[in-house]
Amino acid sequence: MTVLNSLTGVIKNEYVQQARARGQKIVGYACLATPREVLDAAGLFPYRLKALGKGETEMADAYLSRFNCGFCRSCLQLGLDGTYDFLDGIIETNGCDHLRGMFENWQYAAPRSFFHYVRVPHLADADSMRWFVEEIELLIEALNEHFGADVNDYKLNKAIEIQDQIAAKMRRIYESRWGGEIKVSGHEIMSLMVAEGSLPAPDFVKLLDGFIGTLEDRKPINCRARLFMGGAATDEIGLIAELEQLGGLMVADSFCFGGRLFLREAVAKAPVHRLAEIYLNNLMCPRMFMNYPQRKAFILEMIEKAAVDGAVLFHNKFCDLHGIENVKLKMNLEEAGLPVLLLEKEYGAGADIGRLKTRVQAFLERLKR
Amino acid sequence: MNSISKQASQTGLFSRVYSLFSVLKKLPPQLSEEELEGLIKVLPADSANSMKSLLKPSIQQASMTFIQMLSTALEETKAAKQSGKKVVLAPFNFPPEIIHAFDNLVPITTEVLTTLGVVALEGQGERYWSYAMGLGLPDHLCSANTIDLGSMLSGMDFEPDAIISGCVGSCDVNSKTHEFVSLLVGLPQIALEKPPDNTARGLKIFKNNYYKMIRQLEELAGEELKDENLRMVAEKVNRCTELYRDLWELKKQIPCPVPGIFSLFICATRFAMWGRDEGIKTLESCLAVSRRNFESEAYRSREEAARVFWIYLSYYYDLVRFYDWMEENHISNMGDALQLAFPEPLDLSSRETILDGMIESAWNNVMTRQMGAASMSQRWIEDIVYVIKEWHINGTIYCGHHSCKQTWSVFSMARNEVLKRTGVPTLGLQGDSWIRSMTPMSVIQEEIEQFVHNVINKRGRRRRTRA
Repeated sequence: MTVLNSLTGVIKNEYVQQARARGQKIVGYACLATPREVLDAAGLFPYRLKALGKGETEMADAYLSRFNCGFCRSCLQLGLDGTYDFLDGIIETNGCDHLRGMFENWQYAAPRSFFHYVRVPHLADADSMRWFVEEIELLIEALNEHFGADVNDYKLNKAIEIQDQIAAKMRRIYESRWGGEIKVSGHEIMSLMVAEGSLPAPDFVKLLDGFIGTLEDRKPINCRARLFMGGAATDEIGLIAELEQLGGLMVADSFCFGGRLFLREAVAKAPVHRLAEIYLNNLMCPRMFMNYPQRKAFILEMIEKAAVDGAVLFHNKFCDLHGIENVKLKMNLEEAGLPVLLLEKEYGAGADIGRLKTRVQAFLERLKR
Repeated sequence: MNSISKQASQTGLFSRVYSLFSVLKKLPPQLSEEELEGLIKVLPADSANSMKSLLKPSIQQASMTFIQMLSTALEETKAAKQSGKKVVLAPFNFPPEIIHAFDNLVPITTEVLTTLGVVALEGQGERYWSYAMGLGLPDHLCSANTIDLGSMLSGMDFEPDAIISGCVGSCDVNSKTHEFVSLLVGLPQIALEKPPDNTARGLKIFKNNYYKMIRQLEELAGEELKDENLRMVAEKVNRCTELYRDLWELKKQIPCPVPGIFSLFICATRFAMWGRDEGIKTLESCLAVSRRNFESEAYRSREEAARVFWIYLSYYYDLVRFYDWMEENHISNMGDALQLAFPEPLDLSSRETILDGMIESAWNNVMTRQMGAASMSQRWIEDIVYVIKEWHINGTIYCGHHSCKQTWSVFSMARNEVLKRTGVPTLGLQGDSWIRSMTPMSVIQEEIEQFVHNVINKRGRRRRTRA
């Protein structure tokens, strides 16, 4: 767990330092919709932007406002205070209004020589898929031009293959909690998901293998209730750990640093088309429109398989996408007989933890656990 | 469901607005001062406050036409249900002219309904907002959507037959709130996405999406979009555009002869009745009043303490203490960014050219154009700078509607760049544009007063001294 702890405790981790030392270029991205295989195929180190629960935003607040999501403000803070100076480039995606603002301010205040915008459609129909294929082609073109990369089908297929392996291994660990005994806590799962975008893919495969190797010998974790958690963009491992200490274990989730991360169904064979399908068709994010039934089914299926007792749905203050969708989701989960707790929170706000713990504790009482 | 709020919202916003406008439309075309006073006495306080401002003699000619226009829109919506036509609810950034071109479709605009409720009803839109909050929706939503949609969610109001989600990609909260209502009430949703790509490629994708939307509308209407209807609407769209441009030109004059409240009339026309005779009449009457002002010696000698432009939204919940107060204090309210759609005349040569023009108009419509651009900050800043130069603005204000996360996220950049490029300062406020209890108008007035006296006027004096 030492490697995992270091990956989830520091932004500029040892893999980043090693990459810098060997001259490998590092490109930051934030959103799950970014086809990271393209960066792998370009010989780059794709680094997923995160803030690791750090709530300080003094510098960022001069750009983003207090009406913007705390996660985006925290990431921008790290971009402005020099923490992310190791990035050689940034890829913007239109994940949400806050995220777009974060990227625009970052590029305005601390520009990178490589800045590329991958415009991700909000629908997943055939026309949008064609558009997204073009976006991936444009990304390849931009990377080839700026970094002198030579992305081709062979390299893309190799990168897809590794990510498929990663997804399968992550799924194995993730679903190991569904059959009976729970040997991996929810916050450990989130640690793995956060680590995923912090090191090169082949290294992550090794890390996952090591983790899987320990599964057998782990002792089961006792818990009062099996919880589903979902909602806001968050990498707050500490928050989940604190809440789990109350006895409700997160056995399934729909966080974007979580259960949404390893969905990869696709039928196309050509790598660019395959990537478009992987990233657009499986994007279980409320930023997508006209496919709420798909997201609901994805969550209900997990809840059933994981034998969940109750659901906790979070949204970061000012996150409209999750704030609205959680209300509909709450209605649907309750219709399905599952008790639901809605929680609005500030990202990385230590002062808020007492309130959140009280609410979750009361919820566990309500579950009679 | 909160039983108290359900009880309170038993009469929906649409029904109440419709009832009030059914009465207002019966008013004579010209009210004497006594008649106006009498009317105000019988109206409830909130409605009376708005009517006092709307029907004051100096703008009454335009206001009466405006009220007639809105009454027609509401009546058509109401009648559609009885005659088997379909009502399509769309957000403000969706140009309604394409819907007007269908025989069997009637458009209604979410934000126009909300604003009418806030302006005309006793208690404004608060009960519908409260109802939505009672469902668990977060308090950082947009009141412009949530008030009208909250009324629909209560199940006690008129329901449209379909919703167009026209903000996908340019406003999360707007598109998500409309989606929520569509899911909860069970209404079909048509999504029109604009790619955040300003190039020809982006426009091509948008065109394709727009054509797809037309096919969905045809299916909903049970009819094909007819060439003759399209041409008829297009001709009227061009007349609206011409009048809009004339009003734009008049705003360049110092002092500005276009009353501040006309920006509200222009926007409501754009959002609901563009391409209709009633829309043309409203713009014509706005132009007539503005020209009369321009030609009046008294008006021309009026001093302007400031020429202020609202860089995104302004406030719509207190016409007297907003528009009238500014006018009394010699602050020319040049309107807000909701006017920044820059319509172009449609090429009437063929169906294709008309549709191409309508698509470009939708592509460039307000908010879609700025917040749906490749860079929302850049396009927004460019538009603000353009307006500042066109209308000789010497102060801009950001109203800080808490829900506008996209503009809030680039406001700091916009303020800096506007100052850098034009030397014009921006006042940043915080408040809800449709809910009076968030920031009282007295606080807003105080801030504006200080901004005008301590920043705009002092800068003006410094500049004059230097010169």
